[in-house]
Amino acid sequence: MAVIQVEHLVKDYKIAKKGKGLKGAVKNLITNEKQVIHAVRDLNFEIEKGEIVAFIGPNGAGKSTTVKMMSGILTPTSGQVLINGKNSQKNRKEVVQDLGVVFGQRSQLNWDLRLGESFELLRHIYQIDKKQYEENLEIMNDILGINEIINTPVRQLSLGQRMRGDLVAAMLHSPSVLFLDEPTIGLDVDGKYAIRKFIKEINQVKGTTVILTTHDLGDIQELCERLIIINHGVLIEDGPLNELIDRIAPYKNLIVEFYDETCVKHPKAELFFHEENIGKYRFMKKDITAAQLIQEISEQIAIKDVTIEEATIDDIIRIAYHKE
Amino acid sequence: MNRARGSAYFYVYKTRILKSLAYRFDVYGNIVMQCITMFASAFFWKALYAGQETVQGVNVEDMLVYTVMSSLMSVVFMTGIERRVMQSVKKGTVATDMLKPINLFSIYFFEDLGNMTALIVQNMIPIFIIGSLCIAVPKPVSMEAFLLFFISLIMAFFINWFLAACFSMWTFTAINMDPMLQVKKHLIRLLSGSIIPMWFFPDWLSNILNLLPFVYIYQLPLDIYIGKYETAELLPRLGIQFIWTVVLFGVFQFLQSRVTKKVMVQGG
Amino acid sequence: MFKTIKHYGRVTLENLKMSILTTLEYPANMIGWLLSNPIQFLIGFATIQFVVAEFGTIAGWGYGQLAFLYGLSVISHALSMIFFVQGWFMGFYVIEGEFDRYLLRPMNVLYQFFFTGFNLIGITDLIPGICVFVYGCIQIEFEWSVYRVLAILALLIGATLIRGAIYLIIGTTSFFTKSVNDFGAYTQELFDKTTMYPLTMYPEGVQLVLTYLIPIGWVSFYPISELVGVANGRFAWQGAIWVTLGVGVLTFLVAALFFRWGLTKYESAGN
Repeated sequence: MAVIQVEHLVKDYKIAKKGKGLKGAVKNLITNEKQVIHAVRDLNFEIEKGEIVAFIGPNGAGKSTTVKMMSGILTPTSGQVLINGKNSQKNRKEVVQDLGVVFGQRSQLNWDLRLGESFELLRHIYQIDKKQYEENLEIMNDILGINEIINTPVRQLSLGQRMRGDLVAAMLHSPSVLFLDEPTIGLDVDGKYAIRKFIKEINQVKGTTVILTTHDLGDIQELCERLIIINHGVLIEDGPLNELIDRIAPYKNLIVEFYDETCVKHPKAELFFHEENIGKYRFMKKDITAAQLIQEISEQIAIKDVTIEEATIDDIIRIAYHKE
Repeated sequence: MNRARGSAYFYVYKTRILKSLAYRFDVYGNIVMQCITMFASAFFWKALYAGQETVQGVNVEDMLVYTVMSSLMSVVFMTGIERRVMQSVKKGTVATDMLKPINLFSIYFFEDLGNMTALIVQNMIPIFIIGSLCIAVPKPVSMEAFLLFFISLIMAFFINWFLAACFSMWTFTAINMDPMLQVKKHLIRLLSGSIIPMWFFPDWLSNILNLLPFVYIYQLPLDIYIGKYETAELLPRLGIQFIWTVVLFGVFQFLQSRVTKKVMVQGG
Repeated sequence: MFKTIKHYGRVTLENLKMSILTTLEYPANMIGWLLSNPIQFLIGFATIQFVVAEFGTIAGWGYGQLAFLYGLSVISHALSMIFFVQGWFMGFYVIEGEFDRYLLRPMNVLYQFFFTGFNLIGITDLIPGICVFVYGCIQIEFEWSVYRVLAILALLIGATLIRGAIYLIIGTTSFFTKSVNDFGAYTQELFDKTTMYPLTMYPEGVQLVLTYLIPIGWVSFYPISELVGVANGRFAWQGAIWVTLGVGVLTFLVAALFFRWGLTKYESAGN
């Protein structure tokens, strides 16, 4: 059974329409016009145990809204989210007992006190048994080196350290599902590395299902086998990263530098550019490999140098965002 | 003030009016609460006066006019400068704010003026109507009294604003202003005659309070309005009010230049 | 059931510990309020006393009886500040998305809202309350008995619950208006005007509203008038002290249900 089932999920917001200028301000005092925003429209997907799924989309696409409905913070306008078969609205307490959530921009740690105090409080809130708690802290220390900062007041921690603290806080009660909302936002290279390593490890060691939203393509490349892309509240792509690349950009470009201006054609590749001693070929990955193409060209004419161009993950996502 | 700068201040003033008008719920909530305060005071005096004609030379009708007028004044005597300075210091933008070509405190002054204009339109007028219909029509005793009241009211406004402005300078030293702001608010509320006039205080206390600036924010204009004193008796009091206006302006200027210097040296 | 109580008890203790530690982090803050709150209430009380000294009585209440009323009223105000002050800031919690965290934890959201941080600053309100109350007791030569101690405890619990319930109801409207309103000043103004003075100084229509619609009359006036034996108007009940306790529990339940409904309108923050 899927760990997370999202069924016909819909979220509408009503916002007050505000008039402009002095006339508008006076008008607002009297009238009360509402405008409906469709943030999420009929989302359906499932996530299996042990998956790491990246949830991406441009700003305002509805991904935060979806994640908040999945974690039970927002009440859907219609449709439902089942986590381990339970409705996250009706059985909130049971569902969240098995959920860890980290918001990159917002901490759940007590700002004024040492980090350890926040952990202690969580131990009581989630009723984590003392032995289990210490074991978990030990594991987290191995990956994140949390013991170095456990006695520091949270306000004195760097952003990277605080993020590590927040991750530990979210995992103390060994949840089977972990939601991460922009976990690497604003972090330096070391910070990102530590967070990614942590996510991979808990996924492998504990089998934790991880759902993360991010704008960082490095996160996606390093962590996620599966991508869900959403825009204007609609699911527009869902599948493994490789598949997506194959579908959106099923070709590569081969750029060849010859010794002179003569050039050859090839039946399986399109020569779309030729100037002086440079020729550019575009070929479908399913038709021929780059190695074969180079070999076949070099059999006809001497080659000085080659470069292979491939659509970057950047390009793929940009293309996907603009696809309606 | 040159012309460009003048129009900048006007812009601040206008934006503030628009901002104040933007929150409908706030407006209605404020009116309801200010009415509750006004009615509570009115019933308080009615209950006290039950079976008594005049106390301290004032009858119940005068006291009700006093209450309505005091409510109207407290609607517009609101200052935002303390909060604005607090925010600017907290956010650490105070140094850059002070570097701008227009004076920071003047901006706050015009913001408060804009706020006051909005409050007159949306709060004072409804409360005036409700107060006139349900409690007492606040008629001044004479045209002369009304003119003197108006002069005194303007000085009262400045005393109130300068006090707030001087107070806001504390932000640069104290860590948490919130309790201090409360102290100031309650001192003004209780010792300015806005709720209970000084005539009911023991003599020794009202004599001391007459030397402090608080009574010149509410009590003096209101006394004039209900005709508590003869014009001859009023003049020395108006004199003290004027002195306080000037003194507080001086203190404000002094503190302002000191704080500006301090911020410029330390960078906030 | 027992397990649940134990769970909430442990978390409450932990929260209390953290609140104490947090308060101790900022001693200057505490000292500021320690000055401000007593000044506010003691001067406020003094001005009422000046007036009453001039006029004799107000609505049949004398000097000492008013002190008794004022003192107990400030005490229940202080208790409501310690336990329920968050209600004043509900708008902030709604707009800033602060309920996210509470919704993600396996405990009752309302419990977390009120008891994640105890406002120990509220203790500074207790001091003037107790001072004026003791002064009132001496003035009216209040005779203490076991029954009366229990009655005052019941009265304070009921009064604190009523105050908390009203903060909660007013705060919950933020879920619908989606705006940050600082209701604190208003609420306190309303309570000050209605709990520190005899309710009978208001017209009967107002008394009726404050007895049945907005049960503020029960916060201090009805139970205390019974305790000190002063006339208390048409709408008073026999055994008002115990009625107060009941009204407190009832209004709090109503407020909690309203809150639960409001929470379904919660929209978090951002997009």
